[in-house]
Amino acid sequence: MVEPTPSSVQPEGGVSVLFAHHGTEGARRAEPLALELALRWRARIDHLLVVPALWGEMMGDDWLNNASTRDAFGDYLEHQLVCDAQNHLQAFRERCQALDLEHRAWLRVGEPVTCLLELARELRPVLVVIGSRRPKGVAGLRDHLPLDTVLRGLNVPLVIAPWSSQSNH
Amino acid sequence: MIYTHKSPALLIIGLLILLWGTLNHLGAVDHWQSTLQQSAYKDHVGVKEKFEAELRVATEQAAAKKEPAPTMTMPKSKFDEEKAFQAKLSFIFGGAFTLIGLFVLSWNPRPGQLDYLVSTVPGVAFILIIALVVRWGLDPIFANWGKAVKDAGTLSWDFAKIFNLNYVVLGIVVGILVVNVLRIPAWAANGVRLSRLFLKTGVILLGTLYSAAELAQLGALSVGMIGIFVLGSVGIVLIMGRRMGAGNSMTGVLSAGMGVCGVSATVAASPVVQAKASEIAYTIGTILAWGVLCMFIFPTVGHLFNMTPVQFGAWAGTGILNSAQVAGAALAYDPDGIETLKVAEIFNITRVLFLPIIVLWLAAWYVKNEENAAKVDLTHVLISKFPIFVLGFILMFALSSMGLFAPAGHYQGKFFSGDKVKEEKLVKPKQVRLLEGALAQMRNPEETRALKDLIANRKLTSRDQDNTLKAVARIPELDNAVKGILENASKAAWHDSPVIRAFRDWIAWLFALGLIGLGMQITGRAIRQAGGTPLVIGSVVGLIKAVGSLAVVLLFISKSV
Repeated sequence: MVEPTPSSVQPEGGVSVLFAHHGTEGARRAEPLALELALRWRARIDHLLVVPALWGEMMGDDWLNNASTRDAFGDYLEHQLVCDAQNHLQAFRERCQALDLEHRAWLRVGEPVTCLLELARELRPVLVVIGSRRPKGVAGLRDHLPLDTVLRGLNVPLVIAPWSSQSNH
Repeated sequence: MIYTHKSPALLIIGLLILLWGTLNHLGAVDHWQSTLQQSAYKDHVGVKEKFEAELRVATEQAAAKKEPAPTMTMPKSKFDEEKAFQAKLSFIFGGAFTLIGLFVLSWNPRPGQLDYLVSTVPGVAFILIIALVVRWGLDPIFANWGKAVKDAGTLSWDFAKIFNLNYVVLGIVVGILVVNVLRIPAWAANGVRLSRLFLKTGVILLGTLYSAAELAQLGALSVGMIGIFVLGSVGIVLIMGRRMGAGNSMTGVLSAGMGVCGVSATVAASPVVQAKASEIAYTIGTILAWGVLCMFIFPTVGHLFNMTPVQFGAWAGTGILNSAQVAGAALAYDPDGIETLKVAEIFNITRVLFLPIIVLWLAAWYVKNEENAAKVDLTHVLISKFPIFVLGFILMFALSSMGLFAPAGHYQGKFFSGDKVKEEKLVKPKQVRLLEGALAQMRNPEETRALKDLIANRKLTSRDQDNTLKAVARIPELDNAVKGILENASKAAWHDSPVIRAFRDWIAWLFALGLIGLGMQITGRAIRQAGGTPLVIGSVVGLIKAVGSLAVVLLFISKSV
């Protein structure tokens, strides 16, 4: 594995690995690889969790309900997403602490690819780790990162953890 | 928070609409309009030729008598009326949007009601300009194209008619394309969300078009059909979900969505059955995919079976999973009238009235089957889920029945009044003599009395007399000229309420605008979430509902009410 060169090390923040995802199964499977890379380089791990804008479209074309029902649904869905995100962030934080890794969590709401590119520009990590798409036939939400946009927009190396990365490491 | 976006978009939309109105007013786009409005233009050519012939004759007669040439005004053709209508509507809305657009650019908004209200206008204008382009442009283009392809022999059928490519379907498709390809601009977002208000207002105004008997019959029919199919499909989902190991919350939210009214039921039931976010996404994806598919398939199948408005409205109202597409399919099937929409919306209203009951049922079912389920306040559910706009519908029906908009006893704004028969519509003396000659052919004293009254008053005076003479007009041996006089006398005594006629026009526009706006809320990303067990269960139930309700409608529902 290539070690980070001094030129890629940030002057004040130290070396950082950006692990970015939006809560998919592919991301969960990429966690061990992200942690391993950060551990190997003694890098800080920046954990970006994006709540996709897709959830804003979940009222679809509902028109029969009154405002109170729609508000109740919106509050409920928001609560669900916040709980899921907090649990996810907390679990990852605990894994980092167990490995004695410096860790920062970033929770964003929006288009996953936009959030990833913005944060990558802001943090200038040595590399970005993302999960791979789930294989056909595996259940899960269909909202993946458009790889083409990620590749064009990133100016740091990108590592895509294979679906079965857990077993390889 | 400030909602109003300082964008020139509203001003530009307003100016564009105003420009179209001005060009129509000046006759500068007559060439385009003659291509788009082909049938109206044919009428225009006919009217013009007739007028020119009459003018020529009158001029020649005047010349023979050595009198000055007469001044005659050409009567308005359908083409002129259409252009004038487009110009009028463009001036009203284009003018309003231009003024508000200027206001938006010069105003410093402060948080409050006015800010929110103003922020909705650009979105409404965005939907309206799409509606105008679709109704005045795409709709006639596709109609002419379908006809031309058929006439040229390329296809043996009119594809625009078969696939119902009218302004309703095209508007929804354009809405879906806009949100998925271009995305909704930030300045239009609040107005687009307002589109559900257009649909609810349309339903409320629809209340003015029913008679009490019609409402009672359609209500009973819808309660019967919706009752069977809603309870049936909720039951099937609960059984299938358990057998396929879908989990209680997944099964609960799916049964509400598949059984009652699609996305709206999912939104209402999700918190009650504590559905997970991913389960909501699967359910809504499945419902939207089925809804959009049904909206295209149902009208075509309806035409194949030559269904009446009652049959198609009942089928769409029962068989289509999602309530927004029920209205879309009904208008796609019958875009020029709103008879099918009237039936379909009664079914939609019945569905939404079933919603609180089904939510309560699911709440009880979930509490029984799930250990950690939170208790639900039943009264709160019943009150909070009650659709308030249905009260507006009932109120408008009551006001209309009491004669607030047209004399009591009217049907869809049409009412009988002998007193309001115009002088020029009275039976002429020459016609009276023909009627007198027909007296001998009357079959009973009642018919004789009715005809004598008509001769005496030269107009109809009561609905009973009208009904009697309608039966007389069907006597085979009766002279055709007499039949014509009786028909004209009947037509002269029936009047159209301008208020109800305006409501009808508004209803069509409100639904068109509402459906375009709702189309803008159907995203490919949401539909793509359909998959796995929910898609299997949803497809089975959706198919059973569509085919089952089709069979019931064709076998048991009469062609009219």
